[in-house]
Amino acid sequence: MKQDYFSANNIKYIDYKDVEILKKFLNPNGKIMNHKKTGVTSKNQRALASAIKHARFLGLLPFVIK
Amino acid sequence: MENNEENAVSNSRVYEVGYLLVPTLSEEEVPAVYGNIKELVSSFGGEMIADEMPRMMPLAYKMVKVVANVRNKFDSAYFGWVKFNMDGGKVVDLKKKLDLDPKIIRFLVLKTVKENTIAAKRFVRGSVDKKPRTAKNENEEATPINKEEIDKEIDALIA
Repeated sequence: MKQDYFSANNIKYIDYKDVEILKKFLNPNGKIMNHKKTGVTSKNQRALASAIKHARFLGLLPFVIK
Repeated sequence: MENNEENAVSNSRVYEVGYLLVPTLSEEEVPAVYGNIKELVSSFGGEMIADEMPRMMPLAYKMVKVVANVRNKFDSAYFGWVKFNMDGGKVVDLKKKLDLDPKIIRFLVLKTVKENTIAAKRFVRGSVDKKPRTAKNENEEATPINKEEIDKEIDALIA
């Protein structure tokens, strides 16, 4: 993912409910991927991280995949 | 901060509450609980923008909620959400009310935007491909204007 996924798809607000999109940015252990790997802009990476954390709190995403 | 009436208008902003309902509810009970939550929100002056019916889904990990001194473990829940316009101060009261509800395992209050935030299906390829095409078209349109001048220049060169 070289280009920013969110600007490429015209996503202005990263929603915690959009689990399918958020899953793309998790590694096999369920950790949030490095911005170097995701290619997402710093601003979106921060928003992405909080969206993933919100989704985790509500059980939509796992904290860890064993 | 001087005028109360002004504050009421300016403090109003878009919030979203995502919640998990206990899976012990039957399918028929869910719409009633869902209605109660919406009523609760409007009782605090919330203006509904969007919402979604709670639907059964498996949880990514087990959650514990203590109700009447009993630890209940859940690995599935009804997940629903409501989006509304509300005064900032009243959200705190709404939170306190939701905390007391034994049917809610967890909830999350977030500031959000009025627009629909769930992205539609992806159009990555389409949008990326379209841009160069339009750029080319513009170039093609630009050339015919110069054609006559170019012809004249060529004629002049030949002559």
